[in-house]
Amino acid sequence: MRSHMKRFAFLISGRVILGAASVLAVLLSYSWVTGQPDNNPALLPPISHIGQAFVVNVTRGTLIDALGASLYRISMGFLIGTSCALVLGCLIGWYKTIEYLLDPLIEAVRPIPPLAYIPIVIIWFGIEEFSRILLISIACFMVCVVNVVAGMKNVPQVYVDAASTMGASRFQIFRTVAIPAATPFIFTGFRIALAAAWTTLVAAELIAAPSGLGFLLQEGRRYFLTDQVMMIIVIIGACAFTMDRLFRGVQARLTRWSEARE
Amino acid sequence: MSEIVVDNLSHTFGKDTGDALNVLQDINLTFASGSFNTIVGTSGCGKSTLLKMMAGLFEPSDGRMTLDGEVIRGTDRRRGMVFQQDAVFPWMTLAKNISYGPRLRGASRREQAKIEARWIELVGLKGFENRWPRELSGGMRKRVDIGRVYANDPDVLLMDEPFGALDAQTKERMQAELLDIWTITKKTVVFVTHDLEEAIFLSDKVIVMSARPGRIRHIEEIALPRPRSGEMRLTDDFIQVKRKLWGMLEH
Ligand SMILES: Nc1ncnc2c1ncn2[C@@H]1O[C@H](COP(=O)(O)OP(=O)(O)OP(=O)(O)O)[C@@H](O)[C@H]1O
Ligand SMILES: [Mg+2]
Repeated sequence: MRSHMKRFAFLISGRVILGAASVLAVLLSYSWVTGQPDNNPALLPPISHIGQAFVVNVTRGTLIDALGASLYRISMGFLIGTSCALVLGCLIGWYKTIEYLLDPLIEAVRPIPPLAYIPIVIIWFGIEEFSRILLISIACFMVCVVNVVAGMKNVPQVYVDAASTMGASRFQIFRTVAIPAATPFIFTGFRIALAAAWTTLVAAELIAAPSGLGFLLQEGRRYFLTDQVMMIIVIIGACAFTMDRLFRGVQARLTRWSEARE
Repeated sequence: MSEIVVDNLSHTFGKDTGDALNVLQDINLTFASGSFNTIVGTSGCGKSTLLKMMAGLFEPSDGRMTLDGEVIRGTDRRRGMVFQQDAVFPWMTLAKNISYGPRLRGASRREQAKIEARWIELVGLKGFENRWPRELSGGMRKRVDIGRVYANDPDVLLMDEPFGALDAQTKERMQAELLDIWTITKKTVVFVTHDLEEAIFLSDKVIVMSARPGRIRHIEEIALPRPRSGEMRLTDDFIQVKRKLWGMLEH
């Protein structure tokens, strides 16, 4: 048991150290480049300027407001999009009739990038909060549904057969076999959806939003605040990374049974 | 009562397509209620296909099967099956796998715990109750498969090479236990194996199949007295039957 713990601790530390090393390497090269005498800080602001932009925006309260607005949109869009994807994906993957009915439709719509809907959504619903959440929902739905369907289709036949010879009804098989067998796929779908949500959020906010991280980016461009733009980019990266880690944590807990490699 | 009759059954995979494959041809069999029957035959002769059809997983393209006179259509908990492949649910612990069937029918936690304790003990996996299947060896997982079907208490036991992955000692112990369970519960058993000695030791009737397409080549009634003990495997009667059946398998 003790040696197990040690090994685990070593793996964790090895992983963290390597991860930190690569981040540090990027930071060092960046500060070396910006430290060159002929560097133009208006184009490549040194790290200290970026830090200053962070402090300024925090004290003005703009950063917290923007972060709150963006996170709200992300969560709503993600929840709506992935819930729809989960329900529809399960039905499509499990019931042939529904698959034949809906699959061509989804396959035809799926390649359209969510941003292509921006004009029509604005025409229909105006530049409202609802429009932005709708766009994020669409993006999350499209990438997530494919994974849920794949998960359902990859349920090994022998498990379905075993359950049905033990007297499970079609719905019981769905609940006790198909859903658990598909959880690894479903979680992958959630994580891809989260990434799609960030992409769409920033794009939607760049075009039309009175608040949010995208708005701050836009403001930075307009007033040539390169340090603010850089700062927001780092914030977005950090948020997306943290959320993905959280998801991975939940996924690892729920799929402890899986044989997948650490 | 649970008598299975296979009546003029033939089966072709992909019947109306270019590469139709005739797997079973003119199979007529009667598995008396409470009897122990074993099917032997070369790989690919259609044993698994026949068993799956008895379980109701798919329908024969010709002919029919009946259980107590009723045509078998669709699966039913009365006909339990141990599959040739590993069918243990990897997302449930060993104990939860064992009590899966009773849980489907709303057994209380106490009933489930009782069933788990009894069958885990019987398949020799005590102490592994809370392990995930990935933490078990292949032979251990096979025993979970078997225990799970026993725990579901079907009238007919369809077993597709259940002991193939076990070492000689475990295999003999599991054979003896299967015979015990069978003697007490009088289930109708249809068993598939490649091991002639196992077939003779366990059965009332050994069915030898030939391949491409699978047909019944010979049916041997095993007259050895019951209860059967391990030493019987060395008697002249036993070896004689074994020699006869061995000659009938295609080599
Ligand atoms: N779902 C299927 N579709 C098409 N052909 C199949 C299918 N299942 C089995 N077959 C074919 O049917 C034949 C019999 O298969 P089956 O699994 O019943 O053999 P078996 O007697 O159980 O062999 P083994 O002893 O190796 O398990 C094989 O030639 C196989 O290729
Ligand atoms: Mg087989």
